Amino acid sequence: MTFSLNRLLAIAGKEWKDSVKNPQILLMAGMPIVLSILMKGQKALSEGGTIDHFTMPIMIAISVVGAFVQALMISEEKEKNTLRALMLSPASPVEVLLGKSTMTTVYTIVVMAVCMLITGVPAINLGYLVLFILLLLVIFMALGTSIGLISRTASETSIVGLPILLFFVFGPIFAPGLKVPFVMDVIGFIPSYHFMEGLSALVLDKGMEQLWLSLGNLLVWTVLSMVLVFLIYGGKRFDK
Amino acid sequence: MESIIEVDNLAKMYQKKQALKNLSFQVQKGEIFGFLGPSGSGKTTTVKILTSQLRFTSGRVTVFGIAPDRSSKASYLGRIGILTDNSGLYDRLSVYDNLVLFCRLYGVPEKSLEGVLDAVNLSADRNTLVQRLSKGMKQRVTLARAILHRPEILFLDEPTSALDPVNVLQIHETLRRLNREGTTIFLTTHNMQEAEALCDRVAFLNNGEISALDTPLQLRLQHGDQTITLTTPKGPEIVGKNAAGAIRINELIRSGELMAIHSNEPTLGDIFVKLTGRGLE
Repeated sequence: MTFSLNRLLAIAGKEWKDSVKNPQILLMAGMPIVLSILMKGQKALSEGGTIDHFTMPIMIAISVVGAFVQALMISEEKEKNTLRALMLSPASPVEVLLGKSTMTTVYTIVVMAVCMLITGVPAINLGYLVLFILLLLVIFMALGTSIGLISRTASETSIVGLPILLFFVFGPIFAPGLKVPFVMDVIGFIPSYHFMEGLSALVLDKGMEQLWLSLGNLLVWTVLSMVLVFLIYGGKRFDK
Repeated sequence: MESIIEVDNLAKMYQKKQALKNLSFQVQKGEIFGFLGPSGSGKTTTVKILTSQLRFTSGRVTVFGIAPDRSSKASYLGRIGILTDNSGLYDRLSVYDNLVLFCRLYGVPEKSLEGVLDAVNLSADRNTLVQRLSKGMKQRVTLARAILHRPEILFLDEPTSALDPVNVLQIHETLRRLNREGTTIFLTTHNMQEAEALCDRVAFLNNGEISALDTPLQLRLQHGDQTITLTTPKGPEIVGKNAAGAIRINELIRSGELMAIHSNEPTLGDIFVKLTGRGLE
Protein backbone atom coordinates (compact mmCIF):
# COMPACT_ATOMS: atom_id res chain seq x y z
CA MET A 1 0.00 0.00 0.00
CA THR A 2 1.49 3.31 -1.03
CA PHE A 3 1.52 6.24 1.36
CA SER A 4 -0.68 9.15 0.28
CA LEU A 5 -0.15 12.61 1.72
CA ASN A 6 -3.50 13.65 0.22
CA ARG A 7 -5.35 11.01 2.21
CA LEU A 8 -3.47 11.92 5.40
CA LEU A 9 -4.30 15.62 4.91
CA ALA A 10 -7.93 14.77 4.15
CA ILE A 11 -8.24 13.01 7.51
CA ALA A 12 -6.34 15.81 9.30
CA GLY A 13 -8.64 18.41 7.68
CA LYS A 14 -11.68 16.48 8.83
CA GLU A 15 -10.25 16.38 12.37
CA TRP A 16 -9.81 20.16 12.32
CA LYS A 17 -13.39 20.84 11.19
CA ASP A 18 -14.72 18.34 13.71
CA SER A 19 -12.64 19.44 16.70
CA VAL A 20 -13.41 23.17 16.47
CA LYS A 21 -17.10 22.25 16.86
CA ASN A 22 -16.41 20.04 19.87
CA PRO A 23 -16.58 22.05 23.14
CA GLN A 24 -15.17 19.14 25.16
CA ILE A 25 -11.90 19.29 23.26
CA LEU A 26 -11.64 23.08 23.48
CA LEU A 27 -12.31 22.93 27.23
CA MET A 28 -9.59 20.33 27.77
CA ALA A 29 -7.12 22.34 25.72
CA GLY A 30 -7.63 25.22 28.14
CA MET A 31 -6.90 23.21 31.32
CA PRO A 32 -3.07 23.18 31.12
CA ILE A 33 -3.07 26.92 30.45
CA VAL A 34 -5.08 27.54 33.63
CA LEU A 35 -2.65 25.29 35.52
CA SER A 36 0.29 27.30 34.18
CA ILE A 37 -1.24 30.50 35.52
CA LEU A 38 -1.74 28.84 38.93
CA MET A 39 1.84 27.54 39.00
CA LYS A 40 3.44 30.76 37.85
CA GLY A 41 3.76 31.96 41.43
CA GLN A 42 5.94 28.98 42.48
CA LYS A 43 9.52 29.59 43.58
CA ALA A 44 12.03 29.87 40.76
CA LEU A 45 15.11 27.66 40.67
CA SER A 46 17.26 30.59 41.76
CA GLU A 47 15.08 30.87 44.85
CA GLY A 48 15.57 27.21 45.80
CA GLY A 49 12.49 25.91 43.94
CA THR A 50 12.17 22.98 41.52
CA ILE A 51 11.43 22.97 37.79
CA ASP A 52 8.01 21.40 38.45
CA HIS A 53 6.27 24.68 37.63
CA PHE A 54 7.81 24.34 34.14
CA THR A 55 7.49 20.58 33.57
CA MET A 56 4.07 20.07 35.17
CA PRO A 57 2.05 22.18 32.70
CA ILE A 58 3.93 20.51 29.83
CA MET A 59 3.15 17.05 31.15
CA ILE A 60 -0.47 17.99 31.79
CA ALA A 61 -0.73 19.42 28.24
CA ILE A 62 0.75 16.25 26.77
CA SER A 63 -1.41 13.93 28.87
CA VAL A 64 -4.70 15.85 28.68
CA VAL A 65 -4.50 17.21 25.13
CA GLY A 66 -2.05 14.80 23.53
CA ALA A 67 -3.31 11.60 25.13
CA PHE A 68 -6.79 12.07 26.57
CA VAL A 69 -8.21 14.18 23.74
CA GLN A 70 -6.70 11.72 21.26
CA ALA A 71 -8.34 8.85 23.17
CA LEU A 72 -11.69 10.65 23.15
CA MET A 73 -11.52 11.38 19.43
CA ILE A 74 -10.64 7.78 18.58
CA SER A 75 -13.22 6.21 20.88
CA GLU A 76 -15.91 8.56 19.53
CA GLU A 77 -15.04 7.38 16.02
CA LYS A 78 -15.36 3.81 17.22
CA GLU A 79 -18.64 4.44 19.02
CA LYS A 80 -20.18 6.10 15.95
CA ASN A 81 -18.75 3.50 13.55
CA THR A 82 -16.85 6.10 11.53
CA LEU A 83 -13.50 4.49 12.34
CA ARG A 84 -14.68 1.35 10.54
CA ALA A 85 -15.59 3.48 7.52
CA LEU A 86 -12.03 4.85 7.49
CA MET A 87 -10.61 1.35 7.92
CA LEU A 88 -12.65 0.13 4.94
CA SER A 89 -11.54 3.04 2.76
CA PRO A 90 -8.25 2.95 0.82
CA ALA A 91 -6.56 4.85 3.67
CA SER A 92 -3.75 2.81 5.25
CA PRO A 93 -3.34 2.42 9.04
CA VAL A 94 -0.40 4.87 8.92
CA GLU A 95 -2.48 7.47 7.05
CA VAL A 96 -5.46 7.08 9.40
CA LEU A 97 -3.39 7.18 12.60
CA LEU A 98 -1.12 10.01 11.49
CA GLY A 99 -4.06 11.95 10.05
CA LYS A 100 -5.97 11.62 13.29
CA SER A 101 -2.89 12.56 15.31
CA THR A 102 -1.99 15.67 13.31
CA MET A 103 -4.60 17.95 14.85
CA THR A 104 -3.93 16.65 18.36
CA THR A 105 -0.23 17.35 17.85
CA VAL A 106 -0.93 20.90 16.69
CA TYR A 107 -3.28 21.53 19.63
CA THR A 108 -0.75 20.13 22.12
CA ILE A 109 2.15 22.17 20.73
CA VAL A 110 0.09 25.38 20.77
CA VAL A 111 -1.08 24.73 24.34
CA MET A 112 2.48 23.90 25.47
CA ALA A 113 3.80 27.07 23.83
CA VAL A 114 1.21 29.16 25.67
CA CYS A 115 2.07 27.38 28.93
CA MET A 116 5.78 28.14 28.42
CA LEU A 117 5.01 31.77 27.67
CA ILE A 118 3.21 31.96 31.00
CA THR A 119 5.69 30.02 33.16
CA GLY A 120 8.83 31.09 31.33
CA VAL A 121 11.52 28.71 30.11
CA PRO A 122 14.50 27.98 32.40
CA ALA A 123 18.04 28.13 31.03
CA ILE A 124 18.14 24.82 29.16
CA ASN A 125 19.54 23.36 25.96
CA LEU A 126 16.60 23.92 23.60
CA GLY A 127 17.56 21.04 21.31
CA TYR A 128 17.34 18.53 24.17
CA LEU A 129 14.16 20.19 25.46
CA VAL A 130 12.45 19.80 22.07
CA LEU A 131 13.67 16.20 21.78
CA PHE A 132 12.35 15.28 25.24
CA ILE A 133 9.00 16.97 24.58
CA LEU A 134 8.55 15.33 21.16
CA LEU A 135 9.38 11.85 22.47
CA LEU A 136 6.99 12.20 25.41
CA LEU A 137 4.30 13.56 23.09
CA VAL A 138 4.62 10.59 20.73
CA ILE A 139 4.49 8.14 23.66
CA PHE A 140 1.43 9.76 25.21
CA MET A 141 -0.37 10.11 21.89
CA ALA A 142 0.28 6.44 21.21
CA LEU A 143 -1.05 5.58 24.68
CA GLY A 144 -4.09 7.82 24.07
CA THR A 145 -4.72 6.15 20.72
CA SER A 146 -4.46 2.70 22.32
CA ILE A 147 -6.87 3.72 25.10
CA GLY A 148 -9.30 5.09 22.47
CA LEU A 149 -9.09 1.88 20.45
CA ILE A 150 -9.62 -0.32 23.51
CA SER A 151 -12.55 1.71 24.89
CA ARG A 152 -15.97 0.77 23.50
CA THR A 153 -17.45 4.25 23.98
CA ALA A 154 -16.23 7.80 24.53
CA SER A 155 -17.44 7.72 28.14
CA GLU A 156 -15.56 4.47 28.75
CA THR A 157 -12.39 6.33 27.79
CA SER A 158 -12.45 8.07 31.17
CA ILE A 159 -12.74 4.77 33.03
CA VAL A 160 -9.97 3.10 31.05
CA GLY A 161 -7.75 6.10 30.42
CA LEU A 162 -7.84 8.45 33.38
CA PRO A 163 -6.26 6.08 35.95
CA ILE A 164 -3.44 5.26 33.52
CA LEU A 165 -2.79 8.87 32.57
CA LEU A 166 -3.03 10.15 36.15
CA PHE A 167 -0.53 7.50 37.23
CA PHE A 168 1.83 8.49 34.43
CA VAL A 169 1.60 12.22 35.17
CA PHE A 170 1.33 12.39 38.94
CA GLY A 171 3.18 9.17 39.81
CA PRO A 172 6.67 10.71 39.53
CA ILE A 173 5.58 13.74 41.57
CA PHE A 174 3.73 12.15 44.47
CA ALA A 175 5.04 8.55 44.64
CA PRO A 176 8.35 9.44 46.37
CA GLY A 177 6.30 10.75 49.30
CA LEU A 178 4.76 7.28 49.77
CA LYS A 179 8.18 5.75 50.44
CA VAL A 180 7.07 2.35 49.08
CA PRO A 181 10.03 0.73 47.29
CA PHE A 182 7.89 -1.34 44.89
CA VAL A 183 5.98 1.74 43.73
CA MET A 184 9.23 3.64 43.27
CA ASP A 185 10.65 0.73 41.26
CA VAL A 186 7.65 0.90 38.92
CA ILE A 187 7.79 4.69 38.70
CA GLY A 188 11.44 4.39 37.75
CA PHE A 189 10.42 2.79 34.44
CA ILE A 190 7.71 5.17 33.27
CA PRO A 191 8.48 7.82 30.64
CA SER A 192 7.10 10.82 32.53
CA TYR A 193 9.55 10.11 35.39
CA HIS A 194 12.42 10.06 32.91
CA PHE A 195 11.10 13.22 31.24
CA MET A 196 11.30 15.04 34.56
CA GLU A 197 14.62 13.45 35.55
CA GLY A 198 16.13 14.18 32.14
CA LEU A 199 15.09 17.83 32.17
CA SER A 200 16.26 18.19 35.79
CA ALA A 201 19.63 16.73 34.79
CA LEU A 202 19.87 19.30 32.03
CA VAL A 203 18.84 22.30 34.11
CA LEU A 204 20.75 21.34 37.25
CA ASP A 205 23.74 20.06 35.25
CA LYS A 206 23.65 16.58 36.85
CA GLY A 207 25.79 15.09 34.11
CA MET A 208 25.24 13.17 30.90
CA GLU A 209 24.62 9.74 32.46
CA GLN A 210 21.11 10.58 33.69
CA LEU A 211 20.40 12.43 30.45
CA TRP A 212 21.25 9.43 28.26
CA LEU A 213 19.46 7.03 30.60
CA SER A 214 16.30 9.13 30.37
CA LEU A 215 16.57 9.56 26.61
CA GLY A 216 17.10 5.81 26.20
CA ASN A 217 14.03 5.08 28.31
CA LEU A 218 11.91 7.49 26.22
CA LEU A 219 13.16 5.95 22.97
CA VAL A 220 12.27 2.42 24.13
CA TRP A 221 8.80 3.62 25.19
CA THR A 222 8.35 5.37 21.84
CA VAL A 223 9.05 2.19 19.89
CA LEU A 224 6.95 -0.04 22.18
CA SER A 225 3.97 2.31 22.27
CA MET A 226 3.97 2.66 18.46
CA VAL A 227 4.08 -1.12 18.03
CA LEU A 228 1.21 -1.41 20.53
CA VAL A 229 -0.93 1.07 18.58
CA PHE A 230 -0.49 -0.69 15.25
CA LEU A 231 -1.17 -4.10 16.81
CA ILE A 232 -4.39 -2.89 18.44
CA TYR A 233 -5.47 -1.01 15.30
CA GLY A 234 -4.87 -4.11 13.17
CA GLY A 235 -6.98 -6.17 15.55
CA LYS A 236 -9.85 -3.67 15.44
CA ARG A 237 -10.24 -4.00 11.70
CA PHE A 238 -12.18 -7.22 12.22
CA ASP A 239 -15.36 -7.80 14.19
CA LYS A 240 -15.27 -10.47 16.88
CA MET B 1 -20.30 -15.13 -17.37
CA GLU B 2 -17.41 -14.28 -15.07
CA SER B 3 -17.81 -14.91 -11.31
CA ILE B 4 -16.78 -11.87 -9.27
CA ILE B 5 -17.62 -13.39 -5.86
CA GLU B 6 -17.12 -17.07 -5.10
CA VAL B 7 -18.15 -18.64 -1.82
CA ASP B 8 -17.54 -22.32 -1.19
CA ASN B 9 -18.61 -24.17 1.97
CA LEU B 10 -18.41 -21.02 4.08
CA ALA B 11 -18.99 -21.54 7.79
CA LYS B 12 -18.89 -19.07 10.66
CA MET B 13 -19.09 -19.89 14.35
CA TYR B 14 -19.70 -17.25 17.04
CA GLN B 15 -18.34 -19.11 20.08
CA LYS B 16 -20.81 -22.07 20.18
CA LYS B 17 -23.42 -20.63 17.81
CA GLN B 18 -23.12 -21.49 14.14
CA ALA B 19 -24.13 -18.41 12.15
CA LEU B 20 -23.34 -19.76 8.67
CA LYS B 21 -23.49 -23.42 7.66
CA ASN B 22 -21.55 -24.37 4.54
CA LEU B 23 -22.80 -21.61 2.26
CA SER B 24 -21.87 -21.96 -1.40
CA PHE B 25 -22.78 -19.53 -4.17
CA GLN B 26 -21.28 -17.39 -6.91
CA VAL B 27 -22.14 -13.86 -7.93
CA GLN B 28 -21.66 -13.07 -11.60
CA LYS B 29 -20.06 -9.86 -12.74
CA GLY B 30 -22.72 -7.26 -13.56
CA GLU B 31 -25.68 -8.86 -11.79
CA ILE B 32 -27.77 -7.72 -8.83
CA PHE B 33 -27.66 -10.60 -6.39
CA GLY B 34 -30.11 -10.63 -3.51
CA PHE B 35 -29.66 -12.32 -0.16
CA LEU B 36 -33.14 -12.64 1.24
CA GLY B 37 -33.76 -13.66 4.82
CA PRO B 38 -35.21 -12.61 8.16
CA SER B 39 -33.23 -10.91 10.91
CA GLY B 40 -30.60 -13.21 12.37
CA SER B 41 -30.45 -15.46 9.31
CA GLY B 42 -26.79 -14.64 8.60
CA LYS B 43 -27.10 -11.92 5.94
CA THR B 44 -25.01 -9.29 7.72
CA THR B 45 -22.45 -11.90 8.76
CA THR B 46 -22.02 -12.86 5.10
CA VAL B 47 -21.61 -9.22 4.00
CA LYS B 48 -19.05 -8.60 6.75
CA ILE B 49 -17.04 -11.62 5.66
CA LEU B 50 -17.17 -10.59 2.00
CA THR B 51 -16.04 -7.06 2.89
CA SER B 52 -13.16 -8.17 5.13
CA GLN B 53 -14.75 -7.00 8.38
CA LEU B 54 -15.11 -10.46 9.86
CA ARG B 55 -13.01 -13.60 9.76
CA PHE B 56 -14.72 -16.86 8.90
CA THR B 57 -14.31 -20.25 10.52
CA SER B 58 -13.94 -22.47 7.46
CA GLY B 59 -14.55 -22.60 3.73
CA ARG B 60 -13.28 -20.51 0.86
CA VAL B 61 -14.22 -16.96 -0.11
CA THR B 62 -12.85 -14.91 -2.97
CA VAL B 63 -13.79 -11.46 -4.24
CA PHE B 64 -12.06 -10.41 -7.49
CA GLY B 65 -10.25 -13.74 -7.18
CA ILE B 66 -8.58 -12.95 -3.84
CA ALA B 67 -9.51 -13.72 -0.24
CA PRO B 68 -11.01 -10.54 1.35
CA ASP B 69 -9.39 -11.09 4.76
CA ARG B 70 -5.99 -11.09 3.12
CA SER B 71 -6.60 -8.11 0.87
CA SER B 72 -6.54 -4.94 2.90
CA LYS B 73 -4.80 -3.10 0.11
CA ALA B 74 -6.15 0.15 -1.29
CA SER B 75 -6.45 -1.52 -4.68
CA TYR B 76 -9.09 -3.88 -3.25
CA LEU B 77 -10.93 -1.50 -0.91
CA GLY B 78 -11.06 1.13 -3.65
CA ARG B 79 -12.97 -1.32 -5.87
CA ILE B 80 -15.83 -1.99 -3.45
CA GLY B 81 -18.52 0.15 -1.85
CA ILE B 82 -20.17 -0.79 1.42
CA LEU B 83 -23.36 0.20 3.15
CA THR B 84 -24.03 -1.76 6.34
CA ASP B 85 -25.83 -1.17 9.61
CA ASN B 86 -22.53 -0.03 11.15
CA SER B 87 -21.70 2.61 8.53
CA GLY B 88 -21.30 5.75 10.64
CA LEU B 89 -21.19 9.44 9.74
CA TYR B 90 -19.56 12.51 11.30
CA ASP B 91 -22.44 14.22 13.13
CA ARG B 92 -20.75 17.60 13.56
CA LEU B 93 -19.89 17.89 9.85
CA SER B 94 -22.21 18.77 6.98
CA VAL B 95 -23.41 16.27 4.40
CA TYR B 96 -20.96 17.76 1.90
CA ASP B 97 -17.97 17.67 4.27
CA ASN B 98 -18.70 14.04 5.11
CA LEU B 99 -18.64 13.15 1.43
CA VAL B 100 -15.66 15.35 0.52
CA LEU B 101 -13.52 13.44 3.03
CA PHE B 102 -14.24 10.17 1.24
CA CYS B 103 -13.80 11.76 -2.19
CA ARG B 104 -10.26 12.61 -1.15
CA LEU B 105 -9.66 9.17 0.38
CA TYR B 106 -10.79 7.48 -2.84
CA GLY B 107 -9.07 10.02 -5.09
CA VAL B 108 -12.35 11.14 -6.67
CA PRO B 109 -12.75 14.76 -7.88
CA GLU B 110 -15.03 16.83 -5.65
CA LYS B 111 -17.09 18.00 -8.63
CA SER B 112 -18.42 14.45 -9.08
CA LEU B 113 -20.30 14.90 -5.79
CA GLU B 114 -22.98 16.97 -7.55
CA GLY B 115 -24.22 13.93 -9.45
CA VAL B 116 -23.99 11.71 -6.39
CA LEU B 117 -25.99 14.16 -4.25
CA ASP B 118 -28.63 14.35 -6.99
CA ALA B 119 -28.78 10.57 -7.19
CA VAL B 120 -29.67 10.27 -3.50
CA ASN B 121 -31.90 13.37 -3.50
CA LEU B 122 -29.74 15.36 -1.08
CA SER B 123 -28.59 18.32 -3.17
CA ALA B 124 -30.76 20.73 -1.20
CA ASP B 125 -29.39 19.46 2.12
CA ARG B 126 -25.71 19.46 1.22
CA ASN B 127 -24.82 22.07 3.88
CA THR B 128 -26.97 20.60 6.64
CA LEU B 129 -25.12 19.14 9.62
CA VAL B 130 -25.55 15.37 9.73
CA GLN B 131 -26.76 15.56 13.35
CA ARG B 132 -29.83 17.43 12.08
CA LEU B 133 -30.79 14.82 9.48
CA SER B 134 -33.54 12.21 9.83
CA LYS B 135 -32.59 8.52 9.90
CA GLY B 136 -33.66 8.13 6.28
CA MET B 137 -31.54 11.09 5.16
CA LYS B 138 -28.52 9.70 7.01
CA GLN B 139 -29.09 6.42 5.21
CA ARG B 140 -28.96 8.30 1.89
CA VAL B 141 -25.71 10.07 2.87
CA THR B 142 -24.21 6.67 3.69
CA LEU B 143 -25.37 5.34 0.33
CA ALA B 144 -23.84 8.38 -1.40
CA ARG B 145 -20.54 7.64 0.34
CA ALA B 146 -20.71 4.00 -0.78
CA ILE B 147 -21.21 4.90 -4.46
CA LEU B 148 -19.20 8.11 -4.91
CA HIS B 149 -16.16 6.24 -6.27
CA ARG B 150 -18.20 4.11 -8.71
CA PRO B 151 -17.25 0.77 -7.12
CA GLU B 152 -17.07 -2.43 -9.14
CA ILE B 153 -19.02 -4.23 -6.41
CA LEU B 154 -21.51 -2.54 -4.13
CA PHE B 155 -22.42 -4.36 -0.91
CA LEU B 156 -25.72 -3.11 0.46
CA ASP B 157 -27.13 -4.34 3.75
CA GLU B 158 -30.79 -3.30 4.01
CA PRO B 159 -30.21 -0.10 2.01
CA THR B 160 -33.78 1.20 2.11
CA SER B 161 -34.83 0.05 5.57
CA ALA B 162 -35.35 3.57 6.93
CA LEU B 163 -36.64 5.26 3.77
CA ASP B 164 -40.08 6.45 2.69
CA PRO B 165 -41.61 5.04 -0.54
CA VAL B 166 -40.62 8.05 -2.69
CA ASN B 167 -36.97 7.82 -1.68
CA VAL B 168 -37.03 4.02 -2.01
CA LEU B 169 -38.06 4.43 -5.66
CA GLN B 170 -35.32 6.98 -6.26
CA ILE B 171 -32.67 4.80 -4.63
CA HIS B 172 -33.83 1.80 -6.65
CA GLU B 173 -33.49 3.83 -9.84
CA THR B 174 -30.00 4.93 -8.79
CA LEU B 175 -29.00 1.32 -8.10
CA ARG B 176 -30.37 0.16 -11.47
CA ARG B 177 -28.43 2.91 -13.22
CA LEU B 178 -25.21 1.97 -11.41
CA ASN B 179 -25.84 -1.64 -12.37
CA ARG B 180 -26.41 -0.71 -16.02
CA GLU B 181 -23.08 1.15 -15.88
CA GLY B 182 -21.34 -2.04 -14.74
CA THR B 183 -21.51 -2.15 -10.94
CA THR B 184 -22.24 -5.59 -9.51
CA ILE B 185 -24.60 -5.29 -6.54
CA PHE B 186 -24.77 -7.66 -3.59
CA LEU B 187 -27.96 -6.78 -1.77
CA THR B 188 -29.20 -8.20 1.51
CA THR B 189 -32.75 -7.46 2.47
CA HIS B 190 -35.77 -8.84 4.23
CA ASN B 191 -37.97 -6.80 1.90
CA MET B 192 -39.29 -9.19 -0.75
CA GLN B 193 -40.69 -6.39 -2.95
CA GLU B 194 -37.23 -4.82 -3.05
CA ALA B 195 -35.67 -8.13 -4.02
CA GLU B 196 -38.27 -8.74 -6.74
CA ALA B 197 -37.88 -5.20 -8.07
CA LEU B 198 -34.08 -5.20 -8.24
CA CYS B 199 -32.50 -8.63 -8.24
CA ASP B 200 -31.44 -10.77 -11.17
CA ARG B 201 -31.05 -13.72 -8.80
CA VAL B 202 -31.93 -14.23 -5.16
CA ALA B 203 -30.80 -16.66 -2.49
CA PHE B 204 -33.03 -17.47 0.47
CA LEU B 205 -31.03 -17.57 3.66
CA ASN B 206 -32.51 -19.23 6.72
CA ASN B 207 -30.61 -20.09 9.92
CA GLY B 208 -27.30 -19.72 8.12
CA GLU B 209 -28.20 -21.99 5.19
CA ILE B 210 -29.27 -21.29 1.63
CA SER B 211 -32.62 -22.94 1.03
CA ALA B 212 -33.13 -21.77 -2.57
CA LEU B 213 -31.19 -19.84 -5.20
CA ASP B 214 -32.51 -18.78 -8.60
CA THR B 215 -34.03 -15.90 -10.51
CA PRO B 216 -37.20 -14.48 -8.94
CA LEU B 217 -39.19 -15.57 -11.99
CA GLN B 218 -37.89 -19.15 -11.90
CA LEU B 219 -38.60 -19.40 -8.18
CA ARG B 220 -42.15 -18.19 -8.70
CA LEU B 221 -42.68 -20.60 -11.57
CA GLN B 222 -41.18 -23.54 -9.68
CA HIS B 223 -43.29 -22.94 -6.61
CA GLY B 224 -46.50 -21.78 -8.25
CA ASP B 225 -49.54 -24.03 -8.36
CA GLN B 226 -49.97 -23.68 -12.15
CA THR B 227 -53.38 -22.02 -11.93
CA ILE B 228 -54.93 -18.81 -13.24
CA THR B 229 -57.58 -16.70 -11.54
CA LEU B 230 -60.25 -15.35 -13.86
CA THR B 231 -62.43 -12.50 -12.64
CA THR B 232 -65.97 -12.68 -14.02
CA PRO B 233 -69.25 -10.91 -13.12
CA LYS B 234 -70.12 -14.00 -11.04
CA GLY B 235 -66.90 -13.79 -9.02
CA PRO B 236 -63.38 -15.19 -9.25
CA GLU B 237 -62.84 -18.49 -11.00
CA ILE B 238 -59.66 -20.57 -10.87
CA VAL B 239 -58.59 -22.66 -13.85
CA GLY B 240 -55.49 -24.73 -14.55
CA LYS B 241 -52.70 -23.76 -16.95
CA ASN B 242 -53.79 -26.51 -19.32
CA ALA B 243 -56.04 -27.21 -22.30
CA ALA B 244 -59.20 -27.12 -20.19
CA GLY B 245 -58.18 -23.79 -18.73
CA ALA B 246 -57.50 -22.41 -22.20
CA ILE B 247 -60.96 -23.47 -23.40
CA ARG B 248 -62.60 -21.81 -20.40
CA ILE B 249 -60.67 -18.55 -20.97
CA ASN B 250 -61.68 -18.65 -24.62
CA GLU B 251 -65.36 -19.09 -23.67
CA LEU B 252 -65.26 -16.16 -21.27
CA ILE B 253 -63.59 -13.90 -23.83
CA ARG B 254 -66.13 -14.85 -26.48
CA SER B 255 -69.04 -14.21 -24.12
CA GLY B 256 -67.53 -10.92 -22.98
CA GLU B 257 -67.56 -12.04 -19.34
CA LEU B 258 -63.81 -12.00 -18.69
CA MET B 259 -63.07 -8.93 -16.56
CA ALA B 260 -59.48 -9.73 -15.44
CA ILE B 261 -56.98 -12.54 -15.62
CA HIS B 262 -54.14 -13.21 -13.15
CA SER B 263 -51.51 -15.91 -13.15
CA ASN B 264 -51.21 -17.35 -9.64
CA GLU B 265 -47.43 -17.30 -9.06
CA PRO B 266 -46.55 -16.88 -5.40
CA THR B 267 -44.54 -13.92 -4.15
CA LEU B 268 -40.98 -14.45 -2.96
CA GLY B 269 -42.30 -14.02 0.57
CA ASP B 270 -44.81 -16.85 0.03
CA ILE B 271 -42.07 -19.09 -1.32
CA PHE B 272 -39.80 -18.28 1.60
CA VAL B 273 -42.52 -19.24 4.08
CA LYS B 274 -43.23 -22.42 2.11
CA LEU B 275 -39.56 -23.45 2.10
CA THR B 276 -38.53 -22.43 5.60
CA GLY B 277 -41.74 -22.36 7.61
CA ARG B 278 -41.00 -18.82 8.79
CA GLY B 279 -41.69 -15.28 7.60
CA LEU B 280 -39.23 -12.66 6.43
CA GLU B 281 -39.81 -10.03 9.14
